[in-house]
Amino acid sequence: MADYHPSHRSAVDRFFFDWFSGETLGAVRLYFGIGLALYVLTQYPQLLILDQLGTEFHYTLPIWYFWQLGIDHNVPWLILPTLLATFVACLFFAFGKWTKPAIIAILIGIFYLKGVRDSFSGDVHHREVPIIAILTLFFLSKCERVWSLDARRKGFSPIEDWEGSWPIRAMQIYIVMFYFWALVAKLRVSGLFWFEGGGRVQETLVGRALRDGFGADGNVVNLSLGWELAQRPDLIFTFGIFVFLFELLIPLLLFVKDWRIRLVILAGAAFFHFSNFMLMNVQFYFYPFVFVAFFDMAKVHRWLKGKLRLRGVEAPSEITGD
Amino acid sequence: MSKSAVRRLIAGYFLVFFGAIFLRIDYFPLSWVPMYGFREEAETLTVAVGDVDRRELGFAGLRANGERSFLSRRDINVPPANFRRLYQERAFGEGPPQHRRERAELAAFNQWWYERLIGPDPAKDADYPRDLLTSINRTFGLGPQDPRRFVQLEAHLDFATYTRAQLDSGDLLHPVRERRVAIITPTGTHYQRARIGG
Repeated sequence: MADYHPSHRSAVDRFFFDWFSGETLGAVRLYFGIGLALYVLTQYPQLLILDQLGTEFHYTLPIWYFWQLGIDHNVPWLILPTLLATFVACLFFAFGKWTKPAIIAILIGIFYLKGVRDSFSGDVHHREVPIIAILTLFFLSKCERVWSLDARRKGFSPIEDWEGSWPIRAMQIYIVMFYFWALVAKLRVSGLFWFEGGGRVQETLVGRALRDGFGADGNVVNLSLGWELAQRPDLIFTFGIFVFLFELLIPLLLFVKDWRIRLVILAGAAFFHFSNFMLMNVQFYFYPFVFVAFFDMAKVHRWLKGKLRLRGVEAPSEITGD
Repeated sequence: MSKSAVRRLIAGYFLVFFGAIFLRIDYFPLSWVPMYGFREEAETLTVAVGDVDRRELGFAGLRANGERSFLSRRDINVPPANFRRLYQERAFGEGPPQHRRERAELAAFNQWWYERLIGPDPAKDADYPRDLLTSINRTFGLGPQDPRRFVQLEAHLDFATYTRAQLDSGDLLHPVRERRVAIITPTGTHYQRARIGG
């Protein structure tokens, strides 16, 4: 699945304009949109357990734009329709129906739902930060013109390859640098002390494991795996070295042409997010869906279709046992 | 859009998103640091040891008319994770991570713009327990003269303190334990402390 098309222009132009085809942008939008629809559902379920017609809590620390807009309390009945509208907008975006208005609807939905979730107590989570940055790139691109219901209905002319390539490459830069800047931030404000001993990770493991206390059996009520790991600072330090190296070297992924290597590295990143969820309840576990931006999803889509078609043909013989 | 326009667009895009990192902006959708990117240097680590049953009961509230009742997360209609933060963190004076790290190790220029445009350091300036009491009274529409307004909230919580040596050796079963009661009133918050266990 080679997806590199070299030309004779400047290195920057080659980097942005020569990597993917026009249709890849549409395919990335399709898979990113489906992933985002599921991601949205994973981020706000705790809001749905509120009494939808119950007390309207006045936020203790409203997020900055709620503050600016004078939104100082929760309106519980608004949550479910907003979540449903955001979910539907994600599907419209994925399948290319009113794509750009759908992006605006998703942005409004996420800003609102995130604002509600984070304003009760003032902890502003970062799970939506990369999503907004990536959606901005989709909005600025011509993603609605390929692999979309609108393109089929209105007969849009296909976009040029460079028009499909640059938004994906910009997404890739944003995603890898999100990890790299995380390392820079740690080193900038805490230095290597962040990693020393069990490091910040051990402190978070202990705090997270104990925050719900101990059960009658003497074990922690939640996150028992994290509690066990917290007692192994040597092991945490080893993991810390892996994280350090990962965050330091991940920008090199932008120049890896072999999709298999990219797949292995990004599978490692996905494992990292899943581990953080299991050990510390960090809710980034479904975030790796953004990694679709690192693959030629048009080719992946054709490959998947081929596999599914093949399975469909084989199915009768499987049933009859032939 | 021409290629040169796209080049300018990309440059502008990264100027905004990455410029925020150099300016230490942490206002969604811009951010310079992950949630757990900051570690404070200290000889000990003190963490809350929660009690789910106690937290389910909620804050012990006292109204101006002398009436006493518990205020649970269902009463104020707040998600469990947020209620945990209100009960175990804000009531005990602990702010969100953003506040604790916002002004840490700022470069001179960033210090300047934060002080000019944002104002005082929230980690030093905020009174989280008072904000909580105000928020709860506003939630129920109880004004400053209302006899049903809450004039006191109590939260009960244990804390465990580990030394650096304990953390480094992984010995987490023998911390110094302390029981604290946060008593939040409109004029201020005070904490009762009692050491527990051996």
